[in-house]
Amino acid sequence: MAQDLPVDSHALREQVRGKYRAVALEPGAGFHFHTGRGLASRLGYEAGVVDALPDRAVESFAGVGNPFSLRRLVPGEKVVDVGSGAGFDSFIAAGQVGPTGQVVGVDMTAEMLAKSRQTGVALGLAHLEFPEGLAEALPVEDAWADVVISNGVINLCADKRAVFAEILRVLRPGGRLQFADIANGRPVPAEALRDIDLWTG
Amino acid sequence: MLTDSGFTGVVIGEAVDTFDGAKGEDKARAYEVYGYTFMASRPPERPAGSGRR
Repeated sequence: MAQDLPVDSHALREQVRGKYRAVALEPGAGFHFHTGRGLASRLGYEAGVVDALPDRAVESFAGVGNPFSLRRLVPGEKVVDVGSGAGFDSFIAAGQVGPTGQVVGVDMTAEMLAKSRQTGVALGLAHLEFPEGLAEALPVEDAWADVVISNGVINLCADKRAVFAEILRVLRPGGRLQFADIANGRPVPAEALRDIDLWTG
Repeated sequence: MLTDSGFTGVVIGEAVDTFDGAKGEDKARAYEVYGYTFMASRPPERPAGSGRR
């Protein structure tokens, strides 16, 4: 419930939007996390697949794991990428599901959306689209998706239960959620949880 | 939280030291923060009349 959240959802969203606007526009600026091709290699993405993507598809990648490591997507599957950023995981997904599948990458940051849309057009991927939206309010019909992927996004949402409820809504019965995110092994003090600056670095 | 939200069959992959060598490494070490992959399913629908009475 909203009143139990440690930080204000809207304020956190604006902070996250500002951080990832910078990642989109200045991917080499140096952040508290790794980015780009080096990160993709560190996380175990297939080198040949990443090498085939243009720099603008990879340079703003800021994931924390590889959502495809536990299960490769199947040709024909319909996929939603929650917090698709500049589109890196969506492009990987588009390759795995092939032209008979569909991929919808949803993001809230205009600069990320502009980048992913331009790259998608340049790659000629007609089965891929990037609508604007929030993790808590995905622009996707009920039970549309075979698979939902996400990478380093849910930890940045104040109301995680709302995000999981929304993912459950868009997944078909029997559909899968495959995501990567961070988790802490030691408890974070309550005062740190309430410090919105610490959520984004 | 995944199971509380209604997902089933939760699988968790190996931890990845995603902040190793990054500017945020010190904070990540302080709270033992690692990246993980997760997989879970929306339960299949039960055929009508198959539920418990």
